[in-house]
Amino acid sequence: MTVARQVLQAVARAAAGARRVRASQPGGALAPPAARATGLAGVAAVLVAFGFLLGASSLLTLEEAVGLALFAVATNLLVGYAGLVSFGQAAFYGLGAYTVALSWQHYNWPFWLTFTLAPVLGGAAAFLVGLVALRARFLYFALLTLAFSQLFYEIAENQYHFTSGANGVFGPMVPSALAQPRAGYFFVLAVVAACLAILWKVTASSFGLTLRAIRENRARAEALGINVFRQELIAFVISGVFCSLAGTLFVVYSQSAYPELLDWQQSGYAVFMVVIGGMFTFLGPALGAVIYTVGQQFLISRTADWQLILGAVLLLIVLFRPDGLAGLADSAARWLAQRVPAVMRRGAPGSKAPPRVAPVASASEGEPQHAARVPGDERE
Amino acid sequence: MTSANSGAGAAAPPPGPAPVPVLLEARRLVRDFGSFRAVNDVSLRVAEGTIHSVIGPNGAGKTTLFRLLTGIHRPTSGRVLLDGRDVTGQAPHAIARRGLAQSFQLTTIFPRLTVLESVQAAIVAASGHRADFVSRFHRSTVPEAMRVLGRVGLADHARTLAGTLSHGDQRALDVALALATKPKVLLLDEPTAGMSEAETERTIALIADLVRTGGITVLFSEHDMDIVFGISDRVTVLHQGRVIAEGTGPQVRANEEVTAVYLGGSGWGMQRDA
Amino acid sequence: MMPTAIIDTVGVLSTAGALFIVSAGLTLVFGAMRLINIAHGSFYMYGAFLLTTIAGAGTGLRFWLAVVAATIVVALIGAAVELVIMRRVYDSEHLTQLIATFGLFLIFADLALHFWGDNSRTANPPAAFAGQVAIGGAVFPAYDLVVIAAAVAVGLGLWVLLQRSGLGWRIRAAVEDPETLQAGGTNLPLLRTGMFTMGALLAGLSGAIVAPQVAVAPGMDSSIVVAAFIVAIIGGLGSVPGAALGALIIGAAETIGTIVAPTWASSFIYLAMIAVLVARPSGLLGIPERRQ
Repeated sequence: MTVARQVLQAVARAAAGARRVRASQPGGALAPPAARATGLAGVAAVLVAFGFLLGASSLLTLEEAVGLALFAVATNLLVGYAGLVSFGQAAFYGLGAYTVALSWQHYNWPFWLTFTLAPVLGGAAAFLVGLVALRARFLYFALLTLAFSQLFYEIAENQYHFTSGANGVFGPMVPSALAQPRAGYFFVLAVVAACLAILWKVTASSFGLTLRAIRENRARAEALGINVFRQELIAFVISGVFCSLAGTLFVVYSQSAYPELLDWQQSGYAVFMVVIGGMFTFLGPALGAVIYTVGQQFLISRTADWQLILGAVLLLIVLFRPDGLAGLADSAARWLAQRVPAVMRRGAPGSKAPPRVAPVASASEGEPQHAARVPGDERE
Repeated sequence: MTSANSGAGAAAPPPGPAPVPVLLEARRLVRDFGSFRAVNDVSLRVAEGTIHSVIGPNGAGKTTLFRLLTGIHRPTSGRVLLDGRDVTGQAPHAIARRGLAQSFQLTTIFPRLTVLESVQAAIVAASGHRADFVSRFHRSTVPEAMRVLGRVGLADHARTLAGTLSHGDQRALDVALALATKPKVLLLDEPTAGMSEAETERTIALIADLVRTGGITVLFSEHDMDIVFGISDRVTVLHQGRVIAEGTGPQVRANEEVTAVYLGGSGWGMQRDA
Repeated sequence: MMPTAIIDTVGVLSTAGALFIVSAGLTLVFGAMRLINIAHGSFYMYGAFLLTTIAGAGTGLRFWLAVVAATIVVALIGAAVELVIMRRVYDSEHLTQLIATFGLFLIFADLALHFWGDNSRTANPPAAFAGQVAIGGAVFPAYDLVVIAAAVAVGLGLWVLLQRSGLGWRIRAAVEDPETLQAGGTNLPLLRTGMFTMGALLAGLSGAIVAPQVAVAPGMDSSIVVAAFIVAIIGGLGSVPGAALGALIIGAAETIGTIVAPTWASSFIYLAMIAVLVARPSGLLGIPERRQ
């Protein structure tokens, strides 16, 4: 059980740190824009600094975490914003990876071409899948997306002559410059930062507002004149584009593509990241991705029970904190703010503490009754 | 039409030319659920700028009729015309964009959006910016949204999460959402259900004000006769899926069949309409 | 009939039989609680693993007792899971429920590695059905008949239980109008515990029954739960006859697909499911959801 305790401590630390990330988001619970910008710049600075400070293996882990962060945030555009629980986003993730890998293997196409092609294919595939899957609701939708993803998986697994089957595709498929850990890391970081900026723009747009309205009440949105199917299809395509792009980033740090990328459990892990980080926040899923990847590396080297801990964390979250760790951090900060305001005020150096507390305290509108369900970060 | 159109004549559409243009019209609507005929040959003409009420006991088919008008249900037979155009069978969002808005009997709002955001979403829905994922058009709608909220008395709650409003305020927000789309016709399904007396009065006053000063046409349903007679230009009485009477308030009240249905206690109860 | 046709038919029925038993459990739980249980695959895998452990090399009475024991143990695990965890999430959103059962799935998969290791295991079929049977020139494994018989027995048993005892009516009411059902004197929590346990029991039974036919190994939880979803969805979630129909379709598609285009066989199954859902969003025998 010492492992479990270590995990809890690690999670608690991460959550406390996350508070900062969260308050600093655009639209983050009433945080002043300056504080947001400062927070974001701080996170960016730390991530860049890591690029120079960390050793190759740690860097690779962080690189994977950053890549998965894009996958998780793109998945959350559906799960958190549109209320569409897709268990099939791995289909587009794997499609992106396979686009790069197979084009290299069979046609020797350059990475830069396939890197651009992958999101286009991802969007096109998402359009076709969405046309069918979005006819269904709730669980049927979840299961239909799962079926599509399994269809992709079976094709990758069984069309051996083209996909190399279960073995997957391995080889120097990215330019040698990107194969260097540091260059690769900075490339992934830059791509993900740009993509997250675009996705943030989408969620904060008028379109994003209609998505949230659909999530909250489909029939009402429809009655107001919103074409629910079309909005959902657009969201599905956007998510597919960025999931596919995240898949190409996987190739950058792994130089491979294999069928497990398309498996439904891969989609499950994306949902896991979303849930653990908090689906009602923009960057929560990114935090979830980091915790997932770093936690996995940390635990796999120490215990064989990675899945056990993963499962237990999921159960604890759904039973006690459906709003994820970002929500947990909120509550913790609020609790601290009530108990030890003095400590909070002078405890942390510089401007760190006050911005943490202020947004939390003033974000309490309506939260007491529905603390677990309030989308704390989407208010303007 | 001057006299109440009683019982046997319900199959025919209300004859006679309407004095003002008809904005919303139902022609011989029928809707079956399996072997149960929820709406049976109902015709209705809602004239522009008027308040038209549909009353009837629980289970009379009011809610189903409204769902046929808004496109949530498809009629088994019959047509729906909005502003002269046949909209039968169109999707609810398409009908909504043609100018028909509704508030629901069971309050349906966006619980985890703020009151302001909810109204902004409604304005976006009625605008050309529904698929605008580049700009933030909705930010420019704040003044308009606040005007609508002021109209229904919710301006002070703009930053509150809709799900935490009191029941009466949620109903008011429901109406505000419909208003925000600038509809030609507003359908209100039992807007005062579950409201206190004061809230009911406020709502009725709001409806009257909307029509008088807002140029809106209102069709609303009620099971309480007394509420509607005061403000309705025209009243249609539904019973067991059929129109049993139509006319002005006093005409309907004097109608024998209506009286029989009311006094017969055939379910003008307090339960919700099915 | 041609011998090969008989062989294929028996093969289809045997595959379909096992699929039916496990899918019936999944569909019953959905019907009663609107719950999609990803850990259903775990129950199936535990049924198979427990059988290999309890039966050991036994091929006589011990095998049959092991089937019963494995089934009961899995049912008890299911009851415990329901009492400790699932009943806390019935009122939650679909996502929360899915996540909870996904968490359970991961935990069970990990624990299975502790109990039974990473290697694949096999079980011996009972001596009486160990050999081949010849009918009209067709030779096929006798054990196929055991699986088919078990599926028929489960189907009949469920029919009696649901149609004749009024349980089916209560299950529908548990979803559509739980208040009235409780007012009528039905113990709703007990009904739910019972249905979840029944679902686990059927998964465990299916796993135990097929153990002699397959390689019992980690990962079988993942593949069977997807297969069971497909069967249940094609037939219509919540419909037991639908699960039977879906199992037959999938069994046939798999068998025929393997003959016609081996590398595409598994893809056919997903295409079949997608086609059915496009044509009939609630499945072949499902009742459309009346919400929103």
